[in-house]
Amino acid sequence: MGGGLSRTLAVAANTFRETVRERVLYNLLFFAMLMTLGGLLLGHLSIRQDEKILKDIGLAAMDLFGTLIAVFIGTGLVSKEIERRSLYPLLAKPLTRGEFFLGKFAGLATTLLVNLSAMLAGLLLTLGVTGRGVDAALLTAVYPTFLGLLLVVAFAMLFSTLTSSTLAAVLTVGVVVVGRFADVIRGMREVLPGVPQQLVQALFSVVPNLANFDFKNRVAYGEAVSGDVLAWVTVYAAAWTALVLGLGLASFRSKDFQ
Amino acid sequence: MSEAARETVLVTRGLSKSYRTGHIVQGRRPALEDLDLTLLRGEILGYVGPNGSGKTTTLKLITGLLRPDRGDATVLGEPLASRAWRSRAGYLPENPYLYDYLTPSEYLDYVGRLFGLAREKRRARSRELLALVGLEASAGLPMRRFSKGMLQRVGLAQALVNDPELLFLDEPMSGLDPIGRRLVRDLILGLRKAGKTVLFSTHILSDAETLCDRVAVLRAGRLVRVGSLSELLSLHVTHMEVLAAGVASNAPGLEAALHVEPVGERLRLEVEERALGRVVYAIEAARGRVLSVQPVRRTLEDYFFEEMGAAAAGERAGPSRVGEWGEG
Repeated sequence: MGGGLSRTLAVAANTFRETVRERVLYNLLFFAMLMTLGGLLLGHLSIRQDEKILKDIGLAAMDLFGTLIAVFIGTGLVSKEIERRSLYPLLAKPLTRGEFFLGKFAGLATTLLVNLSAMLAGLLLTLGVTGRGVDAALLTAVYPTFLGLLLVVAFAMLFSTLTSSTLAAVLTVGVVVVGRFADVIRGMREVLPGVPQQLVQALFSVVPNLANFDFKNRVAYGEAVSGDVLAWVTVYAAAWTALVLGLGLASFRSKDFQ
Repeated sequence: MSEAARETVLVTRGLSKSYRTGHIVQGRRPALEDLDLTLLRGEILGYVGPNGSGKTTTLKLITGLLRPDRGDATVLGEPLASRAWRSRAGYLPENPYLYDYLTPSEYLDYVGRLFGLAREKRRARSRELLALVGLEASAGLPMRRFSKGMLQRVGLAQALVNDPELLFLDEPMSGLDPIGRRLVRDLILGLRKAGKTVLFSTHILSDAETLCDRVAVLRAGRLVRVGSLSELLSLHVTHMEVLAAGVASNAPGLEAALHVEPVGERLRLEVEERALGRVVYAIEAARGRVLSVQPVRRTLEDYFFEEMGAAAAGERAGPSRVGEWGEG
């Protein structure tokens, strides 16, 4: 294994260990499970909609709590290391700043993957135990959710290299909110005809459309998501994540640690 | 071996750094100016100076935590920006914060992975280093339970994971109790014995005096002087101290001494070197006995306070001479 990759993986493994030792992670996981079980109760109240509601709420829990993990752990990934100076001895070693930055990203990505897997397993178990059948198609909703979360982590890391972890969290939440309503921005011209088209287009271009990663409703209603669509979402996520990570890395590389 | 024949492991040329000040009206405050410093293989160089003199800035510039405004350096024959020399060097930052969710064993294992060490080698090295810094009993405890001194020891251990040829230690004695200081002092002396090169910044002058082959003195970001302790201090034997018995303090001829002080049954006399013969003769003439004669040299601390003048004197910790300054 190349030295650079091996060092990146070492940082990723340590970041994963750091995040799984965070109490907040277990609190979030607990509430996600609670929400899924809540879906079970709600399902009983509706006629012939119980399975759809259970899937809907389970997938929404994964998205919501995954986003909370991505924002609140993601913004602390680099900024905490800078504030506490724990990266000083590491960056004096053969580890480059790029390897450190990407290792932190990969570590949290692994944590998110494990969390989503645990939550998905919980949802499938609930479906199975209650006799509704295990639905593998849920994966076609979870996978884009995971890609969207990676992009949120990239934004959280970018902002955390530019400002304090608190402000970085606020900015990342801003991107998540605006990104989820990107279609509203696109449709702004119809609602507010006075707004210049260029401005609308520029706004639409600088914020990723996070709605592209949302297949929860489609999957809950049993609608299939094609491989082509998933491939397009993958390319979209990879392009945006690479861009935002690249900006974060450039900012991190230019930093002086006084 | 003469200094000229010894290999240089670090050469800095005009290394300079300034920090931005102010938010609205921005200025720059120089932290280090035109540092030309050479470190020879196998030596221990003490890097000393008062608060804000640029010691930590220098170490951060060398280790890549800061980028120089101008100037350059060569480390172990490689350009400063190269990563190649880093696998042969170690660094202990000032007051290191180490991940408190890890145990020392886990932390050293992590650091070993960054150097590409195999699992078995990492385990063995971790055990060896924790024994070296006296923490083998705490190897499995999370570091959040550690005192500052224990963290400092783990910090030292991580700087040694790759068995470095060259070590940069920023205030290695900081936060240590007397036992810890002794341990670190012995460790540094052991490193010298093993042929390692050490550059360490300190504000504890007695440590510099005990450990260093040479001392580099910084003041306000500028290198004031570099030299061996003997070069810095030997020219400055201030006086001789004579201990005598069986003689009264007002015996004839003792007025040649600078200072006469009875100490129990004895007399302690401070005498200028050129008056020593007369004073010894006066003691013997008065049927007294000379018990000892010792030259009194300036200490490193005396040297600093004279060199640094009022600015440094203002930073002395407390009314008594304690030989420590604040961090720089």
